[in-house]
Amino acid sequence: MAVMAVHQFAQCITCHAWSPDQSMVALCPNNNEVHIYRLVEDKWEKVHVLQKHDQVISGIDWSTRSNRIVTASHDRNSYVWNLEGSEWVPTLVILRLNRAALCVQWSPKENKFAVGSGAKTVCICYYEQENNWWVSKLIRKRHDSSVTSVSWHPDNILLATTSTDGKCRVFSTLIKGVDAKDSKKGTSSDSKFGELIVQLDLSSSWTFGVKWSPSGNTLAYAGHNSMIYFVDDVGPSPLAQNVVFRDLPLRDVLFVSERKVIGVGFDCNPMVFAADERGIWSFVRYLGERKAASSGPRYGSQFSEAFGKFYGQSKHGVSNDAVETSRARGTVHENCINCIMPLGDHGTLIRRFSTSGLDGRIVVWDLENEQDLLEL
Amino acid sequence: MANTLRLYLTCIRNTLEAAMCLQNFPCQEVERHNKPEVELKTSPELLLNPVLICRNEAEKCLIETSINSLRISLKVKQADELENILTKKFLRFLSMRAEAFQVLRRKPVQGYDISFLITNYHCEEMQKHKLIDFIVQFMEDIDKEISELKMSVNTRGRLVATEFLKQFI
Repeated sequence: MAVMAVHQFAQCITCHAWSPDQSMVALCPNNNEVHIYRLVEDKWEKVHVLQKHDQVISGIDWSTRSNRIVTASHDRNSYVWNLEGSEWVPTLVILRLNRAALCVQWSPKENKFAVGSGAKTVCICYYEQENNWWVSKLIRKRHDSSVTSVSWHPDNILLATTSTDGKCRVFSTLIKGVDAKDSKKGTSSDSKFGELIVQLDLSSSWTFGVKWSPSGNTLAYAGHNSMIYFVDDVGPSPLAQNVVFRDLPLRDVLFVSERKVIGVGFDCNPMVFAADERGIWSFVRYLGERKAASSGPRYGSQFSEAFGKFYGQSKHGVSNDAVETSRARGTVHENCINCIMPLGDHGTLIRRFSTSGLDGRIVVWDLENEQDLLEL
Repeated sequence: MANTLRLYLTCIRNTLEAAMCLQNFPCQEVERHNKPEVELKTSPELLLNPVLICRNEAEKCLIETSINSLRISLKVKQADELENILTKKFLRFLSMRAEAFQVLRRKPVQGYDISFLITNYHCEEMQKHKLIDFIVQFMEDIDKEISELKMSVNTRGRLVATEFLKQFI
C-alpha cells in the first residue's frame, strides 16, 4: 500500500495546500474559512483560522519561497495572506470579476498569481510597489465558459487554462515591469499579454486539472468523459494523445516525473499513467488497493433463485429477492478526490504527494515502496 | 417478469453511478448564486445528454445530468384506471412531503409521475452509493405499494358489495 498517513480534518474539504516545510497544512472545510493545522507531537492541531471571505473558498495556494497564502472564493475576491509575527494579515485583491473565482495558483517565481473565474476570464495579479497593492489584469473575451483550472509554465510566462467548454488554452502573460528581465532573453519576447498561443480542442466535455510537466514540454488535463489528454511539444504544432479509462472521470492530475502522471477524481482512487520509450501514454494501474466486492450471482435465473429459497437465505445474502445493493468502494477516500498536491522538494522527481477529498480526509501517499512504478 | 425488473434496476443503478459525478459550481449567469444547472438550463455546455431507460412503454426512467445537479424522473407501471388513480394520489401524497425526503422534487417533471433532484450538496453530505440504493429501493417499493393498495381496494369493494347484496336474498 502506498498510503503513508490518513488524517480526518473536517466533514468536507474543498482544497488544501502545504507550507514550504510541510509542517503545516491549510485547508478549507467547505465554508468561508481557511483552517491551518500544525503537526505537534504526531497530532494535528489547529493553529490559525483565516476569516475574510464571505462564501466558499475554491482555491488555496501557499508559496514556497515567500511564504504567502493566496485564496480565491465564490465571493469574487482574492486575499493574499502574509505572516507578520504570529498573525496572518490579509491584503484584499480586487479581481474586477462579477462572478465566482474558481481556482488560483502562484507563478513559479511567485511574483504573480492567476485566478480562473466563472466570468469566463482569467486574472493575472501582480504586486505594485508604488501603491502597495495587488493589481489585476484580465484576459478577457477568450473563453466561452467558466475557467476551471490554471497552470503556470516553468518559464513564468505561459499559462494553461481549462474551461467547461471543453477546451484547453495556453496564453502569454507577459507584464512589463514584472517580467522585464525575461523579455530580453526569452524566445517569447514578441508575444504580448493575453495573446492566445495554443487552443486545444480535444475534449467533447468539460475539462479540469491542467498541469505542465516539470520541464514544461508536456501538458496534461482531464476531461469529464473519462479521458485524460497529453500534449507534447506544446507550440506551433503540438502532438496530442488521449487515454480512455473505464472508470469515473478525473478532477486533478499531477506530474510526478517527466513521464509519469497521477490522476485523481470521482473514483476515490489515484490512477497512474505513464509514457513508454516512444512517448505513448497509457494507464498503468490504481494506487490504492480495492477490496473485492463479495456478492452472489448477478444474473441468476429464476430457477436458481427458487432453489436458493429452498437451500436457505445465507447462500444468496440477506434478501434473495432484492437487487444487490451498491458496495462501498473500500478505498482510502470515501468520496470524490478533488485536490492533489506534491510534497517534499518541488524538483523534477516527486515521490510523495497528498490528496484531499469531499470526505474531509487528507491522505499522504508515498511511491517509494512501489517498485513497479519506480522502474517506469 | 422478475428478471426484467432486475435488469431494469441494474441498468438504472449503473447509469446513476456514472451520472452522479457532481461538483460545486457557482452560477455563470447570476452573481453570487449557486443554483442547480439542470433546472435553470441557461448554459447549454453545462448539461450532459439526457438518458432515457425504458422497461416497456409504460415504465421508464429519465436521467438528466448537469455539472452540479442531477434530475431523475420516474414513470411507474399503471395497468388500468384504478392503478392510475392510486398512483396519482399516492405520489401526490409523497410529493407534498418533499422536505422530509430531501432529494425529492416537489413537482414531477411533465409526463412523469415523480422526480428526484440531487445536487452536489447531497453528494457531499450523504454517501453516493446509499443515494443510489435509496432510489432503486424506492422504485421497487413503489410498485409493491401500489399493488397492495389495489388489492386492498378490491377487497374492500368486494366486501361492501357482498354486504349490499345481502339485503336482496
